[in-house]
Amino acid sequence: MVERNAMLRRSSHGLGGRLRSWAIAAGAAGALMLGTADHQANAAKDDRLVIAIEMDFNSLDPARTFCIACQIFMTGVYETVVEIGPDNKEIKPGLAKSWDVSDDQTRFTFHLDPAARFADGSPVEAKDVKWSWERLHNVKGGAAYLADAIATVEAPDPQTVIATLAAPNSEFLGILTAVNLAVVNSDVASEHGASAAADADKTDTAETWLLENSAGSGPYILAGYKPNEELRLTRNEKYWGKKAAFKEVVFQHVPNPVAQAQMLESGAADIAMNVDAESATKIHSADVVVRPVSAFNIVHLSLYPLGDEHLRDKRVRQAISYALDYQGIIDATLGGKGDRLVAPIPNGFPGTSGLKPAEHDPEKAKQLLKEAGLADGLKLLAKYPDIKPFGVDLSIMMQKIQQDFAEVGITLDLEPLPINVWREQRNAKKVAVTPMWFASDYYGSGQAVPFFGMVEGSWHANFAGISEIPDLANKRLPDLYAKALASTGPEQEKLFAEVFEEMMSDVIILPLMSPKQTLTYRKNVTGMHYSVCCNLILPELSLQ
Amino acid sequence: MMRMLVRRLLATPMLLLGIVTLSFLLSRAVPADPLVSIIGERQLGDPEAVASAQARWGLDRSIPEQYAIYVANLVRGDLGTSIRTKRPVARDLMDRLPATLELTLAAMAIGVSAGLALGVLSARFKDRAADHLARAFALIGSSVPIFWSGLILLHLASVRLGWVSGAGRLDARLSPPPEVTGFHLLDALIARDVTVLADALEHLALPAIVLGWAVVGIISRLVRASMLDVMGQDFILMARAKGASEMRVLTHHALRNALLPALTVIGFSFAYLITGAVLTETVFAWPGIGSYAVASARALDYPAIMGVTLIAGLAFILANLLTDLSYLLANPRIRAA
Repeated sequence: MVERNAMLRRSSHGLGGRLRSWAIAAGAAGALMLGTADHQANAAKDDRLVIAIEMDFNSLDPARTFCIACQIFMTGVYETVVEIGPDNKEIKPGLAKSWDVSDDQTRFTFHLDPAARFADGSPVEAKDVKWSWERLHNVKGGAAYLADAIATVEAPDPQTVIATLAAPNSEFLGILTAVNLAVVNSDVASEHGASAAADADKTDTAETWLLENSAGSGPYILAGYKPNEELRLTRNEKYWGKKAAFKEVVFQHVPNPVAQAQMLESGAADIAMNVDAESATKIHSADVVVRPVSAFNIVHLSLYPLGDEHLRDKRVRQAISYALDYQGIIDATLGGKGDRLVAPIPNGFPGTSGLKPAEHDPEKAKQLLKEAGLADGLKLLAKYPDIKPFGVDLSIMMQKIQQDFAEVGITLDLEPLPINVWREQRNAKKVAVTPMWFASDYYGSGQAVPFFGMVEGSWHANFAGISEIPDLANKRLPDLYAKALASTGPEQEKLFAEVFEEMMSDVIILPLMSPKQTLTYRKNVTGMHYSVCCNLILPELSLQ
Repeated sequence: MMRMLVRRLLATPMLLLGIVTLSFLLSRAVPADPLVSIIGERQLGDPEAVASAQARWGLDRSIPEQYAIYVANLVRGDLGTSIRTKRPVARDLMDRLPATLELTLAAMAIGVSAGLALGVLSARFKDRAADHLARAFALIGSSVPIFWSGLILLHLASVRLGWVSGAGRLDARLSPPPEVTGFHLLDALIARDVTVLADALEHLALPAIVLGWAVVGIISRLVRASMLDVMGQDFILMARAKGASEMRVLTHHALRNALLPALTVIGFSFAYLITGAVLTETVFAWPGIGSYAVASARALDYPAIMGVTLIAGLAFILANLLTDLSYLLANPRIRAA
């Protein structure tokens, strides 16, 4: 027994000693290998710009794109006839060096810059503008509605484009800064299956080709694209304007905001597009700039009367509006890094100055509920997607709203859903209370009514049940809106202010906040600013 | 053995058809519409745009018709076009498979070798410090959430120590090697690009360690238990009596016999990692099939979901087959039977 045990139990020195030697050797080899990388040297190279971003590309076809990464991509590769200035208000020349607007705001004549060239060297002509705008409308992609204002486009000569609108619209120039209205090389695109014909939604086959090629006039050209991995742009050496600062721009797909922040700190990325306010607090490097800026996005609460009979009574909706602790909601979800809103349109847009935000007044809320015969309270169901638009955790927000409702006697049951399921239920008009979000396509208050207004054809009015409950329609709004669009300057400000007061009085859309955008980038990157049309404008970026 | 192989191969198409059918029915049962990925939220209110998109993607056809078209295309090797990426699903998967295989193979190499080593160590030094430490290490790897360990290691190695540059397969400031196999390591070797090779290794190391660590636990536990059972047997005593060194006793005699139960786990771990390494892929921005699967599921990208399911099914069938084959090779008693 002793002998057997002795044989079984060998000295550990022999085996243990060898193991120790191997461990030391492996550790040394690993340290040698990993320690030789010089990432700061890589970060110092100024010929490549690396953007860490959650790549949400749905397409690279200008007529079909509708995502954040798409907008940034488009600014580098395609150009619009006019551009938005750094103040997000001023309209600057783009492909057009000048323009004329008729007094009644229906006819816009653009004079193209004769120096403008596509990446293949061919001139940008009026026919390309006409073709691109018609294609956007006819392909019926995600942004086709942007071309709805245009009735006809004429190209009387290669340098002149005349757009005639269906109705007066003084914000048309602002609409044209939206990236989807960029100009595409019609000859090249048509060779590869693109069509601007009326049946383009059935006959256009260029989308696949456009995943690997671009046909724009911008300072960059598409070099390669791998979905959810990376997208590369190379400098357009034949660019007709100021040469691009970078030889290459790389969009690197990094879905996790903390990983993006780490890449910034280590120098592996120059810009991180999805670092939210909370993740940004973990960045300590002196080489990284963290800059919260006001953005043109909004988060709001929708009350759809079709989803619950109680909501058909305006007093109940008004009570809900008074019940909300708006600043408390911003504090709970964004740590205070958000702005109160005065209307269902970003602050600073025409008509918003001088308006007051909705009040938080629980006593008034209770009074209104009493007048509506609901002194004992009521029960409502909120359905919402479990996501974080613009950094706002909707679950936390709805829990805060639930608390606010409870204070005035409203029991709010919460039902978080996967976003696709929630969307299906909302589209089927089975939702009464839900949070939603909105990102502006351009600087202009004209976006508000077709989206939020209680008028026929409005997006939210459909879910609210305007067809089923005709009383929901705001009869003043259509005329007021048309007048506001037809006017300019102070008159337009005054009219849009009235438009927003009408919309707020409907208490269907309750604007909650405009989350600040946290810009995070290496300190040697210049030209960083948040753009209303495009989030980030690539041609403006360079390194010090 | 040959008969077993042939039987398995003949059964594979039917198995895959069953998997595809089930996946098809389940994905269509979800009460949601993939149209938003095609035309966006705003256009969902335009009946013309909706009708056009439905016709373009075949979503206006009945479910049985969609199924028949899908299977007919599948037989021809066409997995359809991804609603989300707008590219052939087969191409998407082929683009991502090398990344997944590269990560999985590296993770398995680390996990299996560490698991075996720790299992042997634990058994050899049973109830002593080495055993406790090895088991604790393995347990932590299996228990700690991957997204946490991944982010912590990434922070330490990338931000604090500067050993790795960050997420992804390669530093974005480097151009990928000319694609031959899709494996960055192999392609860099073929192109003799030392810079890219070193960078690819650097980027592979952390996610492979994190993922490998997750499988170490189960492998080492199995090996330990199996080793303890085998080391108590008479043939081990005989081996020692004949003067065999401790290393030879452990590896040549004990481990070979103790390995069999671990083979099953190794096989299934490999198959699972092919499509299941989603969290690691997310943290490290690794463009593999796992993250593709999640993005496809979120977008209700039916063709892509079916494609990923096929790959996953194939992976498990193959893993199962290879495991059985390895049993035959490892155990002469099964061969003889």
